[in-house]
Amino acid sequence: MSEGLVQILEGNTFVVSDRNGDIDASPVDATGLFSFDTRFLSKWVLTIDGERLNALSTDDLHYYETRFFLVPGTGTVYIDAKLSVIRQRVVGRGFSEQLTILNHDDKPVSLEVRLEAASDFADLFEVKDQLKKKGDYHNRADRGRLVLGYRREGFDRETWITSSATAKIDVQGLTFKVKVEPHGSWTTALEVVTASVAAAKVLASTTARPRARPSLARGLDKWLGKAPVLESSSDSLRATYHRSLVDLAALRFETLTLPGKSLPAAGLPWFMTLFGRDSIFTSLQALPFTPELASSTLQALGERQGTRVDDFRDEDPGRILHEMRFGEMTAFEERPHSPYYGCVDATPLFVVLLDEYERWTGDTKLVRDLEFEARAALNWIDEYADLQGNGYISYKRRNERTGLENQCWKDSWDSISYRDGRLPGFPRATAELQGYAYDAKVRAARLARLVWKDPAFADRLEAEAADLKRRFNDDFWVEDGEYFAIALDVDGSQVDALTSNNGHLLWSGIVEKSKAKAVAGHLLGERLFSGWGVRTMAEGEGRYNPIGYHVGTVWPYDNSFIAWGLRRYGFKEEAAQVASGILDAADFFAGRLPEAFGGYPREMTRYPVQYPTACSPQAWSTGAPLLLLRAMLGLEPIGDHLIVDPALPDSIDHVALLDIPGRWGRIDAFGRGRLEMAKS
Amino acid sequence: MAKDPTAAFFAALAERGHEPLLQSESGTIRFDARDGRRTEHWYITLKKGDVAVSHKNADANTVVRLDKATLDALVTGRANATTAVLRGELEFEGDLGLVMSFQRLFPAPPKSVYARRIK
Repeated sequence: MSEGLVQILEGNTFVVSDRNGDIDASPVDATGLFSFDTRFLSKWVLTIDGERLNALSTDDLHYYETRFFLVPGTGTVYIDAKLSVIRQRVVGRGFSEQLTILNHDDKPVSLEVRLEAASDFADLFEVKDQLKKKGDYHNRADRGRLVLGYRREGFDRETWITSSATAKIDVQGLTFKVKVEPHGSWTTALEVVTASVAAAKVLASTTARPRARPSLARGLDKWLGKAPVLESSSDSLRATYHRSLVDLAALRFETLTLPGKSLPAAGLPWFMTLFGRDSIFTSLQALPFTPELASSTLQALGERQGTRVDDFRDEDPGRILHEMRFGEMTAFEERPHSPYYGCVDATPLFVVLLDEYERWTGDTKLVRDLEFEARAALNWIDEYADLQGNGYISYKRRNERTGLENQCWKDSWDSISYRDGRLPGFPRATAELQGYAYDAKVRAARLARLVWKDPAFADRLEAEAADLKRRFNDDFWVEDGEYFAIALDVDGSQVDALTSNNGHLLWSGIVEKSKAKAVAGHLLGERLFSGWGVRTMAEGEGRYNPIGYHVGTVWPYDNSFIAWGLRRYGFKEEAAQVASGILDAADFFAGRLPEAFGGYPREMTRYPVQYPTACSPQAWSTGAPLLLLRAMLGLEPIGDHLIVDPALPDSIDHVALLDIPGRWGRIDAFGRGRLEMAKS
Repeated sequence: MAKDPTAAFFAALAERGHEPLLQSESGTIRFDARDGRRTEHWYITLKKGDVAVSHKNADANTVVRLDKATLDALVTGRANATTAVLRGELEFEGDLGLVMSFQRLFPAPPKSVYARRIK
């Protein structure tokens, strides 16, 4: 998103405007009021006496509320300070805008205030790909209301615009004849409501309800109040922690079937929807802080678990979804997101999250409630994901027109390669998938014994996991490099580039003890470790590029799981090194880590070079500092206890994390920084 | 295709009597299927996966209104429940979770032939 645009949002409704508060979208310009993946306003331009306004300042009061201070006159040095204009906007079901004009002069003033309004009702996918609409528009000026409408068969969407002050309404906007007394003011409350006519009952009844302002503010305060309190000598760490919690609050949204329960969407604003992978990873990162995200994520994904073989949606029985959308192209099956299932890691990770959630919370009821779904997910791993019949998960899309080619987290076209840069064909069995499958089986075995009371199933899962681990350590281990290949190709040969996927393997536990030291050595070695974090691909590989999306950049989310993996194998110092680098980087972004930054060596650039991405905050980058805190403090639930085993870099003198929620009630954790970090 | 796919679908459902996919659901869904001037009412009562089907008037937790043709398409996999809702072909009131779960029983699109082992 370009600079200067302001976004406010509630649930999956958000506004992107310029710094004046105006929306003036062109086909390529992605400003507007969006709800349920549809643009409901593409034009919303304020003029006074035919002139656009000039922004003095723009304040993001809360994530859902923005205030624009404006004066008449644009593009000149001269500013007529005799009038000021304030637009205060709150997002709810659409948005409310309080428009106020102040006259600072000692003479009265007569003004013509105009709001131009229009909507193209573009699907988010259309905004991205600039496609042509297939339905018809119908705009009308009702009694006291401007209605913008769009219809394609039964797909009916409307935007309703009303004003508290009397306006002359035409099909292109609202005009106010205003007289403002000396030192007086004039104000009107504008309401813009997004309405899905046919589906109104469904879409409006349980979500995107207009919530009163105080309730939104209370919600945020309550959210912050429930999270553990962080005390530290490091201002930077405290700021990053606070930023993470606030951003995580903004990223929450409710689904239609679980009202009152929120789960993390993937990114703001374009990915404010349910994503299997992103929602699970973020829930895992946030477990020690806000365990309720995990519970609602598991329920929402369980409800939409695949039940049939559907090639268009790449759906199979037991598969966990990739992405859910509600726009026109989804409705008419021009895109498969209803939901789309083309993702292979979310299914084993669903089981991993269920177990990790129980270990923290002791909520065996949810584990019982989701037994069917968990078993279906485990069955999917063996019955549907093993495309080649070789005992490994692999992927190849069945929807070749609009499905995803790469169904693992590194989903760009060139992310999976051999050392020499060649790309393998499909199916591809990437390494981390086997780790997740292993972990899912080991963890499910624990749940089968503890909750489902099925020891025979547990024995079977453990035997399968042990066999998978043995085979994996033979088949994926690159002998001459002493690390794990990123994938096996169709012939079962190693796709042998050195990548950060090795860190996820440590996290999963699939790595044999004897190999862990070499793997950790690579992760912290010069080729992978930039000084800020572990690169997605090692320097020296054919496709390495420090600003290549998955072939050299550093991803904070990736690093947080690598740090957890290093801890799992006892590499405390190495975990602290990774945590320290990423948290240092966070400082350059005022605590809000980007999705990725450049893989340049730290000593070369001295600051992390942000990779340009559309969404900020991104959920799993927001969760990264939380998981890094967990890794540094060595938090590990064992039975009804929380083990604390801190290993902190010396840049952090001390950390106290107070009131960590879990099956133990609330517990405090303390740590002191003793590890000297090479600043490289 | 059966002469009346909807009747065939509900008859098969009643025959099976139990659906593991619905084991966590209890409640009654009423389908109001419009066919010209006539409206067919189907009552599906779920009790932890046990399923009973009838035309008898009963209290429903969820009411689904749609054309008979749409229902025929859903029960044969020619239409998808989620996209039908988004297109406004299907309206409902009441407990959304119940319908969400129930739609799991609708079959896959007829043309999806999944070769499990790709070599």
